[in-house]
Amino acid sequence: MTTGYKGLENSVRNDSDAPVLEVRAVSKQFPVRTGLLGRKEFHTAVDNVSLSIKQGKTLAVVGESGSGKTTLGLMVLDLLEPTSGEILYRGQPFSSRSGSNKRALRREMQVVFQDPYASLNARLTVREALTEGMIIHKIGDGPQDRERRALELLEHVSLPAETLDRYPHEFSGGQRQRIAIARALSVEPGFILLDEPTSALDVSVQSQVLNLLLKLQREFNLTYLFISHNLEVVSYLADDVAVMEKGRIVEQGPVDDIFDRPTQAYTHRLLAAIPRIGSSLT
Amino acid sequence: MNPPLLQVNGLKTYFNTPAGLSKAVDGVSFSLQPGETMAIVGESGSGKSITALSIMQLVPEPAGYIESGTISFDGQDLLDLTWEQMRSIRGRQISMIFQEPMTSLNPVFTIGYQIREAMLTHDKFKGESATSRARSLLERVGMPSPNKVLRQYPHELSGGMRQRVMIAIALANEPRLLLADEPTTALDVTIQAQILTLLRDLQRDTGMSMLLITHDLGIVSQVADKVAVMYAGQIVEQSPTNTLLSNPLHPYTQGLIASLPSRSRRGQELYTLEGVVPPPTRWPAGCRFHDRCSKRLQICDSQMPLATKYDDTRSVSCHLYPAQEMAGNQERLK
Repeated sequence: MTTGYKGLENSVRNDSDAPVLEVRAVSKQFPVRTGLLGRKEFHTAVDNVSLSIKQGKTLAVVGESGSGKTTLGLMVLDLLEPTSGEILYRGQPFSSRSGSNKRALRREMQVVFQDPYASLNARLTVREALTEGMIIHKIGDGPQDRERRALELLEHVSLPAETLDRYPHEFSGGQRQRIAIARALSVEPGFILLDEPTSALDVSVQSQVLNLLLKLQREFNLTYLFISHNLEVVSYLADDVAVMEKGRIVEQGPVDDIFDRPTQAYTHRLLAAIPRIGSSLT
Repeated sequence: MNPPLLQVNGLKTYFNTPAGLSKAVDGVSFSLQPGETMAIVGESGSGKSITALSIMQLVPEPAGYIESGTISFDGQDLLDLTWEQMRSIRGRQISMIFQEPMTSLNPVFTIGYQIREAMLTHDKFKGESATSRARSLLERVGMPSPNKVLRQYPHELSGGMRQRVMIAIALANEPRLLLADEPTTALDVTIQAQILTLLRDLQRDTGMSMLLITHDLGIVSQVADKVAVMYAGQIVEQSPTNTLLSNPLHPYTQGLIASLPSRSRRGQELYTLEGVVPPPTRWPAGCRFHDRCSKRLQICDSQMPLATKYDDTRSVSCHLYPAQEMAGNQERLK
């Protein structure tokens, strides 16, 4: 089928050596007030983090709750400004973008959240959810063309055409996650942040969604930043992995290196704690 | 073999819902020996939590009720007991811990008060001895600085610490059976390993039996002696843990194991069970798994398979294994 999906900046996309996303020495501090007089202190959620992802690759950020991985994700989406450091998308720093350039960035970078029950607007039909972004970013020639594109998106995520006229509450968790993925794709992004996209799903549905994410990545040459605490899923989906602890990246590299030869005690502990089939408690 | 501590037979727990009669648990039978750990695995909506709540007789009324079956604990059918009698068993002989340690504790009382309350309700320990026992319970569940924690409130503790408190409360009266419903799902993976190790050690020391409800086959592999796999309100396969994981019989169990992502499968398409678990108000006719099954036979959409003994330790409900029927399971055909 013809996809109707044509990426932006095609010439840049084919340059596979330049990183799509680059995070350079980024930190984020949040003010915390302590005591009655409100003495101001700072909590460092993300501490001097650097990473980069190449075209079509998946980098996973793993860590336990409070390690700063979600804060990092928000900064990568330009929804939160770093206290220091810089983030570049296709070589261009976020800070240098404004106006239409910023809007183009929003279109290029999409997100799929953990909870498909909370991330879809309950008042919008699937048609409205899928075409809203197209309207904002002026994609498609009129309503009919957008409808055609919406139908193609549904086909990509294996949902029937009737889905268009329905509301989110009519769908199961796995189907909603497919809708959320289709919505992310609706504006033809090059990069998708996946924030625990299968954590809320049952095992049998998880494998459907993982297959879909892999298929779409190959088809559209998508770049993924995958935030997860599930190391089994990470080892399946990711090319590279960055391990976060208390706001810092303690170790990063190709999945096989990190899983086979972790050099940091924390990575060791994390890997040892995975309840694998055939493993035993210590 | 010893008489089982817990024997559940033909348990049916139904709910009246606006969408119709929901047969959440529909003919479940299993038994648990003293000191044994059994895991019930299944996806959301399979009926595993309702099975545990039925044993505790904490099924939300009036919508939910136990339609039929027996729950024999230490030779006595719990369903014959009065509310007062059941109350003296709950928390004393059978305890339960839940997934959410955030919502299971009362935010306005101290940890010490809540542990003592569990003991005082059952009159086993009183006064000063209750406080010192609360302290030793906290020590036992690996709580650092138990004296301080006794005076703290739930919000001052982390998730892992709260779950330790919940376990301390559950163990306060030295129960013979612990029902653990997804006890580590809300916790980080390193904390999860600590809690699972703790549960195993406590069980080894006290000899209690444990019924562990989980969706994680890795945890099952680490903790359980045997496993029951639930699908659509029924147990479709029962087996010792190692056998189940290495040689699953039921196509649903096979599918669940095959669909797990792992490093060795990187880049490959994962096996998928097509479709979703049907809603409990509309279980399919015949085998409830038939419309998702890759090994479907002609008989499967019309006739419900009976639980069949496959060998000495395993049983399976599937037409692929047409051996002699297990006694006492005829009523599942109804």
